[in-house]
Amino acid sequence: MFCLLALIVFSILGIFSASHRQLAKEAFDCVFRRVTLRPCNTGFDTKIKGKIIGKLLNRSEFVAKLLNKHFEIVSWVFFILLLSSSLWVLRGGYNFYMYGSCNGLNESGFCAFDPSGENNKISQVDDSCSLNPPSESNLDLTALSLSEYPTKDVNSEDSLIFIGCYNCDYTRKAYPLIQKLQDNYEFNYTFIHFPVKEETSYISNYVYCANLQDPEKLWLFNDKLFVSSKEDVANNEYVDKVAVEVGLDIDKLQVCVASEETQKIVDDQFEQVRATEIYGTPTIFINGKALVGPKPYRVYQRVLGKFW
Amino acid sequence: MDIQKFKQDFPLLQKGIKGKPVVYFDNACQTLRPLSVIEAVNQYYREYPACAGRSVHKLGELVTKKCDEARKLVADFIGAKRREEIIFTRNTTEGINLVAHSLGLKAGDVVITTDKEHNSNLVPWQRLAQKIGIIHKIVPSKKDNTFDLEAFTEMVDEKVKLVSMVLTSNLDGVTIPALEIIKITHRHGGKVLLDAAQAIPHQQINVRKLDVDFLAFSGHKMLGPSGTGVLYGKYKLLEELEPFMVGGDTVEYSTYKDHKFLPLPEKFEAGLQNYAGIIGLGAAVKYLDKIGLENIAKQEKKLNRFVTKEIEKLPNTTIIGPSDPALRGGIVSFYVKGVDPHQIALILDESSNIMIRSGQHCVHSWFHAHNIQASARVSFYFYNTLEEVEMFITNLQRTVKLLT
Repeated sequence: MFCLLALIVFSILGIFSASHRQLAKEAFDCVFRRVTLRPCNTGFDTKIKGKIIGKLLNRSEFVAKLLNKHFEIVSWVFFILLLSSSLWVLRGGYNFYMYGSCNGLNESGFCAFDPSGENNKISQVDDSCSLNPPSESNLDLTALSLSEYPTKDVNSEDSLIFIGCYNCDYTRKAYPLIQKLQDNYEFNYTFIHFPVKEETSYISNYVYCANLQDPEKLWLFNDKLFVSSKEDVANNEYVDKVAVEVGLDIDKLQVCVASEETQKIVDDQFEQVRATEIYGTPTIFINGKALVGPKPYRVYQRVLGKFW
Repeated sequence: MDIQKFKQDFPLLQKGIKGKPVVYFDNACQTLRPLSVIEAVNQYYREYPACAGRSVHKLGELVTKKCDEARKLVADFIGAKRREEIIFTRNTTEGINLVAHSLGLKAGDVVITTDKEHNSNLVPWQRLAQKIGIIHKIVPSKKDNTFDLEAFTEMVDEKVKLVSMVLTSNLDGVTIPALEIIKITHRHGGKVLLDAAQAIPHQQINVRKLDVDFLAFSGHKMLGPSGTGVLYGKYKLLEELEPFMVGGDTVEYSTYKDHKFLPLPEKFEAGLQNYAGIIGLGAAVKYLDKIGLENIAKQEKKLNRFVTKEIEKLPNTTIIGPSDPALRGGIVSFYVKGVDPHQIALILDESSNIMIRSGQHCVHSWFHAHNIQASARVSFYFYNTLEEVEMFITNLQRTVKLLT
């Protein structure tokens, strides 16, 4: 068992170091002999055992003696640990590939492939404490009346609901990916502005009114805002300018934006979104499956069923 | 002998490994090299890295002169009559092979060895037995692993062409009674080749007093550079021998049909030689002369006495060879029942930088015959001290306790 363990460990180390490559070769020779039902008489296990015990001896005679006595058992334990951790790493790799996170879809926690956790980062809805930690499984779309929000309906069986905030960095990261997805595939697309950044609350009225005035121009308006600086987005004069640039009737738009009726509808929409229990932006629902945080493009493709 | 003073000549003993002192007890394999040897080798490469003999320029002349000096030093060191009797080889093995293949042995000729020969003095005879049908006979040792002169005397007759024996065994340090063996063999018209690899560095050998016909030894076991060795042969015998390897530097001239060999020693030294090694070997001989072989033997015996006494106290431990340490020179080979000697060697090395040898020491045949797996071997040289041996004993006790 020790030879097999050594083969795995030294093979990995051998990628980086020539001296370990030689040891890996010796370990392989030993394993090969065992596999072919011959005794491992290469002396490899004796050599490594002696070296380990020799080093330990100066630190603790007791531990050295114990290890010498139970070397095979310890080798087994380490082999099982190695196997488990290898499986764990494989699982992490699989999860990262499939969901953008080693720990599974929307699961935060350390991931070696995404050490800063970029693929799970969100701008939180609020800082309120909750007895139950936020979870993707609590999300519920039934409260949303989708027809009230800007939608590109292409009569597809697939749907994508994008809930984001103009000044949320992570929404800004996800937005171009969703644009790319729209360029490449057909699906019904709904955009919901959920202002987790207070300075963008006023834009909800613009979104509602622009959609009312000319849905096509709303998408242009959206595209421009997501590439504008966050300072500009927080400035309503700039937003007015963008509305003009995309061809919206600014006078009508401003009247609509300022109306009490608009405000009531927007407030109602806000409550609807809150009722979904989303806990941050961006939250993207693809065919009802929630993806929290900006995922790699392949993850959106996969959930949409267009990856293979 | 001021050992501490001599120790300063050995860089490894001064520097240690990873800041820890080195205790080197594997001298039967190779000894350490003093600065004067290292410097002699360096000097060759630095100042006159040229060919000897064939080149007439200044550098060539200098190399020729230095190699000649080394040959003279070696000849004097072993008491050879003429420097031409010294053939430089790569090691003892090459020297033995040279004799084996040059002596003109025929089917039915008998070659006698001991039962604890190093592979270098066993395999050549086994090969000749298989290839040309010589008869290889082995003298069994006594129970205590010392040489059985009686058994040998009974074995020798006129059919014996060569007695090829290890003078001092690398297995247990036992030295055979060479003088008697040579006399008996000569009485029956045979020749004697001694493998003196473990003898030359540790005891005074005079080839003329011994009247030995051939004597092979290595430079690297006597402070010399690696890959250096010597074959001594009586001038007349060497003249009669056919060269083993021929080619460059062995002939005076050649035509498309024929050639004429150079006189001794060149006819046996084919190809470009290890000049740096030969010059380094000369420096090693000078150094040994300075220390005195009697001092070396005295120090080794003192250490062997002490270490034998302590090892005997360890449970289930057997020392190979006679119990009297005085009969084992500077070598102690031992094994502990149920303990892998490699483990002992590895643990001593890893835990304390104590370097000993483990295994069958190229005397596989003896181990197989005695059904012993392997042994740990401690071999001393003059730079080893009693303090080092005490440290070894402490660590050995700890290691054996751990492994049993």
